[in-house]
Amino acid sequence: MLKFALKNMLTKKVKMILIILSIVISASVAILAYNVAEQVNDGLVNTTSTYDTIVGPAGSSTQLAMNTLFFTDKPPGTISYEYVEKLESDDRVNVVIPFAMGDSYNSSKIVGTKPAFLDGKPLKDGEMFGDVYEAVVGSSVARKYGLSIGDELVTSHGLSENGEKHTANPLKLVGILEETNTAYDNAVFTDIETVWEVHEHHEDEGHDEGHDEHEDGSSEDADAPSSHTFEGEDEEHEEHEEHAEEGTVCAILLKCRTLAYAEEIKKEFASDSNILTITPAEVIREIISNVDLSRKIVYLLCIIILIMNVFVISTVTILNMYDSQKDIALMRLIGIGTGKVNILFLIQNAVIGLISTAISFGVSRLVLSLMSDFVASMGIVLDASKIYPFEWLIMAVVFVISVLPTLICTLHISRKDIIRN
Amino acid sequence: MIKTEGLVKRFDEDTLISYNNIVFEDGKSYVLLGASGCGKSTLLNMLAGVITPSEGAIYFDGVEMSRKSQKQKDRFRIEKIGYIFQDFKLIEEMTVEDNINVLRLEGVKTSAMDDVLGKLGILSKKKKKVKQLSGGERQRVAIARAFVKAPDIILADEPTGNLNYEIGKKVVEEMLKIAKGKTLVAVTHDDRLAPLFDCTIDMNGIASSYSESEVEKNA
Repeated sequence: MLKFALKNMLTKKVKMILIILSIVISASVAILAYNVAEQVNDGLVNTTSTYDTIVGPAGSSTQLAMNTLFFTDKPPGTISYEYVEKLESDDRVNVVIPFAMGDSYNSSKIVGTKPAFLDGKPLKDGEMFGDVYEAVVGSSVARKYGLSIGDELVTSHGLSENGEKHTANPLKLVGILEETNTAYDNAVFTDIETVWEVHEHHEDEGHDEGHDEHEDGSSEDADAPSSHTFEGEDEEHEEHEEHAEEGTVCAILLKCRTLAYAEEIKKEFASDSNILTITPAEVIREIISNVDLSRKIVYLLCIIILIMNVFVISTVTILNMYDSQKDIALMRLIGIGTGKVNILFLIQNAVIGLISTAISFGVSRLVLSLMSDFVASMGIVLDASKIYPFEWLIMAVVFVISVLPTLICTLHISRKDIIRN
Repeated sequence: MIKTEGLVKRFDEDTLISYNNIVFEDGKSYVLLGASGCGKSTLLNMLAGVITPSEGAIYFDGVEMSRKSQKQKDRFRIEKIGYIFQDFKLIEEMTVEDNINVLRLEGVKTSAMDDVLGKLGILSKKKKKVKQLSGGERQRVAIARAFVKAPDIILADEPTGNLNYEIGKKVVEEMLKIAKGKTLVAVTHDDRLAPLFDCTIDMNGIASSYSESEVEKNA
């Protein structure tokens, strides 16, 4: 029966391909939309930090949270390292982690910090950075650029890929993190002193000349040669202010002994107009509430797409079935019973449903992988292997609606007076 | 033996066809001759269980089949009757082999396929798609499908309708050769083929077509 059904399907290759294509397009959009919405939400929720307080320069709390937790956006500025030292001597604080950012390796951000920042993130290969210029990379970075332990990473000045290369001070890769499906997969981690050293060299190499020129205004002349010219220089200068230069950090991540101490510290810093302290959980909750609206819109779109799926797939299936009236009549005339005819077309449409569902799933995963880089820039890593239960439901619905109309149609057609068909 | 009793078929329009009783004996070949619209094909369809008579009965070896359920009639048709249709009723996009193997859906064995196709001279066309065949070849495929299951009864509706006389005659001769010893009832409008069969039934004397108004007037 299955063999004959497949042969019968193969006689209508073009039609079958078009039917499968129409199902795949609508089903994969629904699956993809749902998965992305869920993973973005999960990404935010799961990163709600193990830190109870983040101290940073005055500015946007969202920017500070996104920068330190998801390594997105530019750092809002820098604060003196003295704050780190002060907090380290504070008995109310368990963990004090300095955080600096400003350079990049290809499109991946470089985070200057302490090894403790990677606590709970096991290494797949190598060891934790210890000395200046040693670096640990996230799994995606290693995979994307084919990195292995001992490789040299030539970083770029600023957060743009087009920034001036720090060829004189490459980082040495000493460790690769295991995949975490978080923003950590897409970042490079090194000691905070590395960030300072690199920038010290960078200034020595003449970047500060450019600054001086700007200060005295002479470099405003378009013909004036720049000490280091590269694409996006203006942007670079803008970013330069956000680089953690020696003795500065972009943020400080704290784990306090108690939440009450965290609140106390927050209050103490409130009087310092140069400092902003945030509770990451609160900021993330706010972001999630905004994202939640988007998620609801995506759900609504999913439902609309599914309803459209029902119409599209049913219409296509019904048209296909009515197109098969002649074949059904023929079979009935030579004595094939209604039951067998129904089973035959049911098998055919089940095969179409299965193929379409499988391709839809494959397409959604392929697009997820392709989208991964784009979404990674927002600090969320899309895991193409992650399947939510609702996705199975979408696929089940797609399968059922590609089979159910067949059953109704064949029953209707095959029960008609044979000779009238 | 097939026996009809008081067969009447009413149609949607106000017309009906009434048949005299007919007996088809086992192992003989019959040709039904008659003008177009006299009810030849309708009789074949009723014998095959494709349509149900409005009145009367059809007996196969004494068993009344026309009032059985459609499922039983389908079963009877697939097991006992080989029906050759005027317009072949073949799946154009499928191969000759697949068109015959469609019978397997109902568990019919098609192991005699090569033998039957060989006898009809189209074994070499087995893997060809029906749409690539000539009219004569298609008709032979339709005949092969009817014969491959070794039925007791063969019904053939205008088996040469789409063929010229010479080819048609050859096809009928081949068909009769394979049908030897079976009951064969064929319909044709070409009376030149009649001598090839054991018995000729002139449907003009057997079936009567009326309109309802005529029936009422006669009553």
